[in-house]
Amino acid sequence: MTASTNNPSGPGDPATPNPGDPGTATSGPGTPGPDTSSPAVDGLGTPIDTDEPPKGASFAAYFLRKLGGSAISMILVIVLGFFAFRLLPGDPVLKIAKERPMSPAQIAELRSQYGLDKPLIVQFWDYLVGIVTGNLGESYVYRKPVSALIGEYLGPTLLLTATAAVIAIVLGLWLGQLSAWRRNSLFDKLASSTALVFWSVPTFWLGLILLMVFGGTLQWLPTGGMITPGLDPWSPEAIIDVIRHLILPVITLVAVVYAQFLMVMRASLIEEMSEDYLTTARAKGLTEDEVRRRHAVPNALLPTVTVVFLHLGGLIAGAVTVEAIFSWPGLGKLTFDAISGPDLPLLQGTFVVFSAIIIVMNLAADLVYRWLDPRVRRA
Amino acid sequence: MTDLSFDDVSITYRSSSSRGDVPAVIDVSLDLPSGSTLGIAGESGSGKSTLVMSALRLLPKSATVTGHVRLGGQDISELSFGQIRAVRWAQASIVFQGALHSLNPVRRVGRQIVEALEHHAKGTWTTPERRRARMLELLREVDLDPAKAEAYPHELSGGQKQRIMIAMALACEPDIIIADEPTTALDVIVQKQILTGLADLVADRGISLLMISHDLAVLSAVCENLAIMKDGRIVEYGPSDDVCLRPREEYTQQLAGAFPQIGDAESRLRPRTAKPAEVRLTDPFTMTDEVVLEAQNLSVTFDTRQGRERAVHGVDLALRRAEILAVVGQSGSGKTTLARSLLGLQETDPGSQIAFAGRPLPRKAKDLRAFRRQVQMVLQDPSGSLNPKRSVYEAVAEGLQVQGLTEDEYAKVIGALEAAELTPAADYLESIPQELSGGQRQRVVIAGALALDPQVLLADEPVASLDASVRGEILSLFLALKKNLGMSALIITHDLGLAWNIADTVAVMKQGEIVEYGPVDTVLADPQHAYTRELLAAVPRLGSQSLVRSGATVPGVAAQDGAAQDGAAQDGAAAVGAAQDGASADVVPPDGTAADAPAPGTAARGVAAQRTADRAGTDDT
Amino acid sequence: MDNDHRAEAAPESASTPGTQPASPPGTQPASSEGTKPGRSAATRNGAAGFDSAKLIRERRLRSLRRNWRAFRTDTPAMIGAIVLLLFVLMAIFAPVIAPASMLDVTKQLDVPRYAPPSLAHPLGTDDLGREIWARIVWGSRVSLLVGVAATLMSMVIGTLMGLAGGHFTGIVGAVVMRLIDFFLVLPSLLLAIVLSTVLDRGVFTIVVAIGIASWASTARIVRSQTLSVESRLYIERARILGAGHRHILIKHLLPAVMPLVLANTTLMVGSAIIAESTLAFLGLGDPGSESWGTILKNSMDASAATSGYWWYVLPPGIAILLVVLAFTMVGRALEAIINPTLRSSR
Repeated sequence: MTASTNNPSGPGDPATPNPGDPGTATSGPGTPGPDTSSPAVDGLGTPIDTDEPPKGASFAAYFLRKLGGSAISMILVIVLGFFAFRLLPGDPVLKIAKERPMSPAQIAELRSQYGLDKPLIVQFWDYLVGIVTGNLGESYVYRKPVSALIGEYLGPTLLLTATAAVIAIVLGLWLGQLSAWRRNSLFDKLASSTALVFWSVPTFWLGLILLMVFGGTLQWLPTGGMITPGLDPWSPEAIIDVIRHLILPVITLVAVVYAQFLMVMRASLIEEMSEDYLTTARAKGLTEDEVRRRHAVPNALLPTVTVVFLHLGGLIAGAVTVEAIFSWPGLGKLTFDAISGPDLPLLQGTFVVFSAIIIVMNLAADLVYRWLDPRVRRA
Repeated sequence: MTDLSFDDVSITYRSSSSRGDVPAVIDVSLDLPSGSTLGIAGESGSGKSTLVMSALRLLPKSATVTGHVRLGGQDISELSFGQIRAVRWAQASIVFQGALHSLNPVRRVGRQIVEALEHHAKGTWTTPERRRARMLELLREVDLDPAKAEAYPHELSGGQKQRIMIAMALACEPDIIIADEPTTALDVIVQKQILTGLADLVADRGISLLMISHDLAVLSAVCENLAIMKDGRIVEYGPSDDVCLRPREEYTQQLAGAFPQIGDAESRLRPRTAKPAEVRLTDPFTMTDEVVLEAQNLSVTFDTRQGRERAVHGVDLALRRAEILAVVGQSGSGKTTLARSLLGLQETDPGSQIAFAGRPLPRKAKDLRAFRRQVQMVLQDPSGSLNPKRSVYEAVAEGLQVQGLTEDEYAKVIGALEAAELTPAADYLESIPQELSGGQRQRVVIAGALALDPQVLLADEPVASLDASVRGEILSLFLALKKNLGMSALIITHDLGLAWNIADTVAVMKQGEIVEYGPVDTVLADPQHAYTRELLAAVPRLGSQSLVRSGATVPGVAAQDGAAQDGAAQDGAAAVGAAQDGASADVVPPDGTAADAPAPGTAARGVAAQRTADRAGTDDT
Repeated sequence: MDNDHRAEAAPESASTPGTQPASPPGTQPASSEGTKPGRSAATRNGAAGFDSAKLIRERRLRSLRRNWRAFRTDTPAMIGAIVLLLFVLMAIFAPVIAPASMLDVTKQLDVPRYAPPSLAHPLGTDDLGREIWARIVWGSRVSLLVGVAATLMSMVIGTLMGLAGGHFTGIVGAVVMRLIDFFLVLPSLLLAIVLSTVLDRGVFTIVVAIGIASWASTARIVRSQTLSVESRLYIERARILGAGHRHILIKHLLPAVMPLVLANTTLMVGSAIIAESTLAFLGLGDPGSESWGTILKNSMDASAATSGYWWYVLPPGIAILLVVLAFTMVGRALEAIINPTLRSSR
């Protein structure tokens, strides 16, 4: 860079004192006299360099640190899951009572069922014990234990969101890097503007449109559910049937989410394209394609991965409306039913489980990041 | 072997802004015959990088090149993309500034070297095993532990990264190496190692070297010939010694003058500059015996992941009234930490004592604030030290405002700016930093400190990030502040020449400890500690190719070596090209009359002509 | 490498040798006026005479004009701005355009239900015989209001938390960082759903729910920008001059992050409008007021999508799409305008 720019690694950088490694200081470049190891090239042989940055921390230490962070987030989710339903203004039971007519006796029964007649600290303790033992209370709407319901509905949600996530990531990153590399070309303009339009569309509305066109008018695909009733779940016909049911909800989820990934990948690759090491690669005689594939993209992936995983939360949010529209029997549908109840124990349960999934995904993101970026292996 | 020639080259950047096209290089002609070494010196913005990047067609699409860049007689603009890719690295490679971002941060460095070999699988390295062996051999040649092949760039020091860059440049046995600021951001001692290594490797193989730098001394220490670039034009060209020691152009004189020759009595306490700061007193202040700032047994230890690291260890210092003390050391020697602790910005270890005017450094935030009216600091980089959104007035008045000294604010700001020699001060008040030059910005920063009327000024590398021509001005300002105001200054620097220019006393720091401390004249004339001697030896001297191993640069030998090494058909074409070039260019015989000093390499003398310059004729006499 | 060409592209490149005041620092016409008050103040020898506030105002005005010129050349952004203006006017003059009685179900008894678009019913009618276009005109009020208000709320929280997380070290910084990280991973729509389920139904609830659920992304951006500014030497210089937290936060950090926050805000209004419509679609909206999400919820309840009543589904979604796209275009243009300054000072 030019001399006038702020160079953070300059010799006098106040923030990062680099006193060298005291253990190897005895034979550093400070040692006077020529080095004898290579008489042909005097002064160049200094096998031990005191400016060499220290070695990185172990994987276990990194993993434990990230695991600790996730554990704190999980605890916060659990605490929030309790207090959001207890402490906010408005008695949840009265609120239910407002939505559906109830007698005072019913209200009192509901109170004791929710444990609302006990002191807060006892309620919290019961809640914690419940979380640990897998008892999340009883659903008001379904009249079943919340944990059983979640166990039953978790699989379809994972199937739907994981399929959508994989497709969205692959599609978004691939289109994004192509767009960036051919910046301002027709391809870029088309890809970027399509992405921007999809980005500006509410997921549920896109779902409604797809439902209307392919399910309603054209009747090509089923409009709801996961599997046609009566089929043997593991037969080949059933698998094809499930895939047919999957198509519309997956397209809806992918369309909205891939656009974000595309924009992020495009931006970060464009940022990367002015870096000096790409000039080195070009000077070495690599083709533009090789420069992109081998050098630019691996670096551009780094900031992208973080954002991609952060946006997976958006996928979950999309799942709530998409599952509601396509009657997909998953956690999103459960959440939707819990809202219309309102079924607070169920909502609490899905909130905690959804958040837990996201926290686990972010832990995975940290591990992926460490694998992609050797620099993190040091920090 | 391959010649590189620039024939009447102009390069323009198309710009979408209202200023239209920006010319970066104007009518430059330069020759780099095979086996020769040429340095191009220029300040930032002179167009030197743009020029050399055009040699391999590495400029961005917005650049338009006119004239001819010939590599081995072949005009590179006529090559197809496939051909130019084959030429890149195999015929001419580049040593980028490895200390920064020229290596891919997420790939192992060994892999990055092998990659170059894969793309030019000529000669012996046709299989992966051979390529790997070649890579390890290259690492040994640049004196790196072969185990470093598995390292990522961030795991290496600046010097090691630069060695990797050199190894990579040598990988495909190129005929020409272009070195783009190869030692910027490296310490003097590492710089010397890198330069010596590069010069030797190039000389041993008869490779031509084209080196660009802002640092005249670095270039003259390695190159036979020098070209000085300014605003896209070559303003002076000739053998290194002529250009450095007997510069003709005023601009070159300015550049050369910025490098003090330690021991040269003329520049002692007299930094060379066209605009020296004014000394207003008939009886200027001189160093007294009254101690203003004192440190005893000062130690600073940092907690890092690797454990506790000691940055400063047991330092004793005393700064007297109207004394300029230079603390000299390499990066990582703890000198910046030392300055920060003297200001109370850095927690010190128990047992450390800092006293100002006999009283210990205050601890409480409020007292510390008051203390900072007395002791001020100027940071390394004036561009970074000024908030780009705030005007000069705001920047200078900032200290007065945070200190609550708002009475007569305007007059104080004007006074401070004038003391910093930024006159007429009123003209600068509303400027924002981007509208000022680097030197002006540093004056604003100094004025901001002076506005508080301090007794002591600490300065951290105050000229390191300034262009050479501005260096002398700022240094003479420090001298004038001492003489006019009786101010004491502690200046942190890596540059022994700075101490020679302005300091009364010098303290040499190594790994957190002061190894030598005393009057400048004594310490620099007769260094006692081995480290001081090493530092002194590493300071590049102007001219005389001081870092080139004697004997190796005899041009004939180098050329023969090169010819023996490689007899590819391409070279035949190159030779023809060279001959053609020779016919049109002025070739001065070895006993050329231009230089009375023995300039090695005059046999391969190129020509630089700024077509419109009046110097064009005299260059060939 | 030495970016010669970039340095050359900048007129204020540091290469100008010397300190001659020949080139007047401010090349803009305003500069000569600017110095006059300074000089007269010098003769009066008074501090009050020099009006630095006026200089700041002039400089801001100049940069505003410059940015406006850059914005004007950005066609998508200008289209976006015009679309936004139209929607805002529509929201303000809703009672004039479509009298409130048009939404009163009891007054639509003789209007056909599910009437397809025609001259009499430009966008068709819904299951209760109301004009879709009138509902959309009224719906723009809540959608825009919630979008802007929720974004302002999340922006304020996000900026404060981001600044605190970037500036303070030690326990305060660590706690704030943890909090930001937590809210960042929390699925924001889910949190908004929980909040609006528990709180009383109403526009205010939706604003609070979206605001609380979405501030973390602003905080993340502000924090990283704060960290990068924090490492600049001028912050260190301010400390050397004796400045405390308040001075550094207000005079240096806040102005440095504000442009970014502004661009980010514009982009976020779009997301907030989508979030509002989603909450309304899930039945968590204010039952008493019209919003685009509510229309879509009604259409879903009436199975409009599967029954072929496309005019019930398409127009509200297109309205959302247009507004969100417009905000996105304007936001991206703003980002592009402020980005070069961020880049050059990095």
